[in-house]
Amino acid sequence: MLFSPVIIFAQDDLMQLLSDDSNYKISSSFKGVKIVNSQSVELVSKGDLLFLIQHRFGTLNSGAYNFYGLDNSQVRFGLDYGVNNWSSIGFGRSSFLKTIDANAKLKLVNQSKGENSFPFGIVWYSSAFFMQSVWKDMQADDYLFSDQLSYAHQVLVARKITSAFSVQITPTLVHKNIVNQGDANDLLSVGLGARHKLTSRISLNAEYFLQLKKENSINPLSLGVDIETGGHVFQLHLSNSAAMFERAFIHETNGDWSNGDIYFGFNISRVFTLKK
Amino acid sequence: MNKLITFILIFFVTNIYSQRFITNEAEISFFSEAPIEDISAKNNKVSAVYDAETNQLVFQLNISDFIFPKSLMQEHFNENYLESEKFPKASFSGIIDELNKVSIATGTLKIHGESNAVEVKGSLVKGNDSVMIEADFAIQLKDYNIKIPKIVMYNIAEEIEVTIKAKLKKI
Repeated sequence: MLFSPVIIFAQDDLMQLLSDDSNYKISSSFKGVKIVNSQSVELVSKGDLLFLIQHRFGTLNSGAYNFYGLDNSQVRFGLDYGVNNWSSIGFGRSSFLKTIDANAKLKLVNQSKGENSFPFGIVWYSSAFFMQSVWKDMQADDYLFSDQLSYAHQVLVARKITSAFSVQITPTLVHKNIVNQGDANDLLSVGLGARHKLTSRISLNAEYFLQLKKENSINPLSLGVDIETGGHVFQLHLSNSAAMFERAFIHETNGDWSNGDIYFGFNISRVFTLKK
Repeated sequence: MNKLITFILIFFVTNIYSQRFITNEAEISFFSEAPIEDISAKNNKVSAVYDAETNQLVFQLNISDFIFPKSLMQEHFNENYLESEKFPKASFSGIIDELNKVSIATGTLKIHGESNAVEVKGSLVKGNDSVMIEADFAIQLKDYNIKIPKIVMYNIAEEIEVTIKAKLKKI
């Protein structure tokens, strides 16, 4: 035939005109701002206030008389506020060593796919810890307010590998202003965290911190289950660490999993939207 | 002779192309009315193509482009209900006809991986170099396998109202 038939465009061809591969930001690598004890790459959204109640009980091997640790408990209350799309601030207080903490979290890079994709989400986290001193110590001649302070600085690097599985690596520097003679002021460690979503609302989390130079303590290993219901997230934990703030849970853990020194704990978090 | 054939083919091709209208800034919003709360969201990055020659109409959008007033709602929408990482896009593909001055679009609506045959009434107004398409219709969440847990039964309606406003420009 000398003439070609008239070209008929199928609806699929119309669709072709629309396909695009524009940049798609990955979100919700973790269900909450914490993996178990340590921070995740998630931040509180802009204008939202996160109220966090954290409990850690005594060790499971405390025996029936102590109700397997449930008789003994310590708490941390925390409030985190999303300042804008890429930063949040927060403060909290732990009954462990009566420590007040303040923190700031900055989102540096978002994991994204499509055009200009980037394989990781990177967040900076800094926290300062103020151990409340006893009044008589504060009366001593050589008392300095800064003696009560210590800091933690972390770079959180995470990758959401599938919609159900995310991993995070967290190089950490803890600095203590005042230490016992012979101990180091600066301590380095690397945290490893992962979460696996079992259903759209329930996930399994795990976290381990490897201290680069241990000082009479055990590396903390923690496991958790996150259950999300509307505005609340419930987290159930098992950990060999009693404390819930970085300086203590990374470098001052004395519990041994193989010994049954396992602390059961749970967190409840609730998000309030202050600004729409 | 070859030159004549080529000329005729080009004539047909450009003729068909000149009847196409496109946009990637159409607006689709939805509204859920339930006893405890009303939920609404808007997507301003909807793509659409209309072919006046064949009466074909296609819409496509990214689920993650729906903006909610509360970011927690947006997160749950994407993570729990629409599972936008598994099903990143929603689309409509069909034919638009005019019957008694009312435009009716008939075709397949695909959301959350489920396809359903739909018939939507709306308006299609042709301008000089553009086409305005507007429609209001309802969809049932269960038709698209979007599950509402009992705990939020009074927060989310089973039937969602969808509104479309699109201004397509000639290609």
